[in-house]
Amino acid sequence: MKIIKNLAVFLVVSSIFLVTQAYGGEKSILFHAGLGQRGALNEIKAVFEKRHPDIKVNFSYKGSGYFIADITRSKQGDLFMPGEEFYLMQAVERGFLTDYDPKTDIPAYFVTVIITPKGNPKNITKIEDFARPGVRVGLGNPRSCAIGIWHQKTFKKAGIWDKVKENATMSAKCIPELGNATQHRAIDATIVWGTTAVLYLRDVEIIPIEHKYRGIIRLPVGVLKFARYREEAQKLMDFILSEEGRAIFHKHAYAVNPVIPVDKQSFCLDGTTDQDMGYLVNAAKAVKDDSFPVTKETVGDLTEEVIRQKKTIRAGD
Amino acid sequence: MSGNRHSRTSYNTFFYSFAGFLFLYSAYLFLSNLDQLFVTEAAIKTREITSWGEDREILNQFAGGFWKDPYFWKSLNLTLVITLMTTFIATILGIPTAYALSRYRIPGKSVVDVLFSSLMVMPGSVIGICLIVMFNYGPLWDLQNLLGFRFGHSIFPGMLIASLVLSFAFGMSAWKATFDSVNPRFEQVARSLGSTRWRAFRTVTFPLAKSGIVTGIILAWTRAMAEFSAVLFFCGTFRELPASRFSNFTKFLQMDQADWLSVAVWAQVEFGNIEYGFALAFVLVFIGGISVYVMHRIGAKGYVW
Amino acid sequence: MVLRSRGGWWPTLCIGIAGSILAVYLLLVTSNWIYLGWHDTLYFFSKSRMWERFWLTVWTATVSTSFSLLIGIPAGYALSRYRFPCRYLIASVIDLPIVVSPAVVGAFLFGITTRFPFDWISEYYGIYIGRNVYGVLLVQFTVTAAFCARLMKASFDMIPTKFEIVSHSLGASPFRTFFKVVLPMAKNGIIASMIVVWARAAAEWEGLMLFVGATEGKTDIMPFAIYLDWNGGMMGWVTSMSIVCILMAISAISAMKIIGGKSNVW
Repeated sequence: MKIIKNLAVFLVVSSIFLVTQAYGGEKSILFHAGLGQRGALNEIKAVFEKRHPDIKVNFSYKGSGYFIADITRSKQGDLFMPGEEFYLMQAVERGFLTDYDPKTDIPAYFVTVIITPKGNPKNITKIEDFARPGVRVGLGNPRSCAIGIWHQKTFKKAGIWDKVKENATMSAKCIPELGNATQHRAIDATIVWGTTAVLYLRDVEIIPIEHKYRGIIRLPVGVLKFARYREEAQKLMDFILSEEGRAIFHKHAYAVNPVIPVDKQSFCLDGTTDQDMGYLVNAAKAVKDDSFPVTKETVGDLTEEVIRQKKTIRAGD
Repeated sequence: MSGNRHSRTSYNTFFYSFAGFLFLYSAYLFLSNLDQLFVTEAAIKTREITSWGEDREILNQFAGGFWKDPYFWKSLNLTLVITLMTTFIATILGIPTAYALSRYRIPGKSVVDVLFSSLMVMPGSVIGICLIVMFNYGPLWDLQNLLGFRFGHSIFPGMLIASLVLSFAFGMSAWKATFDSVNPRFEQVARSLGSTRWRAFRTVTFPLAKSGIVTGIILAWTRAMAEFSAVLFFCGTFRELPASRFSNFTKFLQMDQADWLSVAVWAQVEFGNIEYGFALAFVLVFIGGISVYVMHRIGAKGYVW
Repeated sequence: MVLRSRGGWWPTLCIGIAGSILAVYLLLVTSNWIYLGWHDTLYFFSKSRMWERFWLTVWTATVSTSFSLLIGIPAGYALSRYRFPCRYLIASVIDLPIVVSPAVVGAFLFGITTRFPFDWISEYYGIYIGRNVYGVLLVQFTVTAAFCARLMKASFDMIPTKFEIVSHSLGASPFRTFFKVVLPMAKNGIIASMIVVWARAAAEWEGLMLFVGATEGKTDIMPFAIYLDWNGGMMGWVTSMSIVCILMAISAISAMKIIGGKSNVW
């Protein structure tokens, strides 16, 4: 009998708990975002929620290629920020976004870099090294993650796409998988965004790509057609596009220069992003080597990242 | 008999209804999704945008036309071959281990007991992470460099190890329970009559434990088929890799460019090929259903999943 | 008595295999902690994010366990005591959600939430079960209800029916027999099963992956959070949360062994 009584008490308490969880009474924006942007967007969420205490932001992180299916099925979501403009245009084609302006709705840019495991065992220094036999390359799957498109573009421009495909060891469904594999030394080299590389400063070597192969990726943001909290979503979008939002992006190794000259395929034309690349390489050195000075001149806005990563022996906070 | 008839029948109905609720819930869960196999307008329009050209024609048929797709047959092949190999290895290693744990005095037996039981309720992602950390750092990493190939992201031995971890644990607990239930006295009598220990095991204990051993084998196989997260973390997907990456042995077995079935279900559903993903899921449910029915028919007792 | 006979290679083989396999499994379970090191473990354990997730895991597992027990105990009794036609078929169908991979169960649950009665609920009440903690509870319930029924069946099987028959012959109504005779006798089994079911519910995450989106702080229970952080490249979080999960599983099973004692069915 005692068991039944205990069980009954359990059930009553848990039902009360459940019901109180249901009615939060606050507005929560659903933000579909690519997996590569997690660090920056979490910080934006913290600042935004502090400023507007009655609005909560919930993220739904996925590899960029999965968004269309998910949005079609669930028809839910307020903001959309995939890892590449290509996926947003898919949503525009399907009619999920109505007022997207390519000139103003880009808060930041990704820049591609090469990363290799610590110590660079296969001595990779440039794009052409990816075609060397015996190098294990990690590629992204273009159907599911934004970096996959850029792997194809970069290697096709260098003319080594077939050889690199022979070297492919893993086909990642999302970009952090590539970063993880590099950290675990499962692959010897890959190309990722600078934003992803900055998460693994302790365990990878970062090698900037030369200008003609360095890609500048436009990162769009837009309000979806069936947003439930349109004004709040617009407020968040304005915050992201503002100076302060862009500064937060810059702190996470995005490129926020207002004008970056690119050619038709979005490869870099000149050295506008060179300073950011320098900061990134210095940051990698600073986390590994305690004697390297961490100042505004050496690592720019990445100071916070470097200090935070120095706190733990194993990567990843 | 006691109690009036009304109280007895209402008592029976009360209990029947709970079992019936579980049955109906499970049946509804699986049968009502049969219509996911049919292609809808929205799915076709989405695939116009996301599909990269090749397989749009096949995918727009009933159930994604899975029986026409070589990827499906190769994945089925891969899963079945790997699980059979895993079951075989688990049996070869598991029966002696279970026998040792059941009969001989091993220090810290209760610790071992707790360890294996808790492996069975541990989340799969934790097992996957443990495998990755174990194989990519430390002494095993040097061993891999010595041998020249990596354990992770490979079919042999990556998938084998990933499915072996839990399949072995489940099988071993079933076999240990079986050996525990066979009275050791029979072996001791056989040995007192002059037979060696191995002969006593082979001719006395093994036939007595036969049904329990068969139960354990089926249990290990079912658990290996149901493995998902360890394979996902440790091996990933192989569909988009070039054919040159796979060894000739793998190609001979028709296992190149295929995925583990559970991982394939998840990948297809995430991509939006819902019909195809559900077709794969139904194949898995069918296989699982058959093995569970066989377990019930042979009267397996005392097994828990 | 110690029997000396020929062929001592068999015990050596058995113990050798057992020992090496145990060493491998022990390495598997402790490798996380070896990798992370003491200093980092303390660092990650001091962050509140870890404990928020831990609390979410604990309370969702507790709630779904109580619902599973409510359904599982009577269902286990029915499966154990009654002989009805197509018994094996019905038992197989009930067992099906726990036999197949939880990812497949998650896919099917995602399928049924897009139709009646769930889409009706989400339209009128605005609760979309796929993005809520209710989705987590539903998945946990699906995977553990049948598991609970199976464990209950095993423990009711171990109670001979003669006690009930004696109680009936002494004039007690069937319900009174159940609550006053059968349940107290099964008490150890029920408690042991409750703990195991709780541990299984806390370890369920593949069903969540397809079915429930990842809303940080609201639906990411610990195993799911490990997957998400793994996708975010946060290796330190991943390993420290794995350590917490391993400790949770081990402590639950130890508690079960201590409390369940001799009557455990595990």
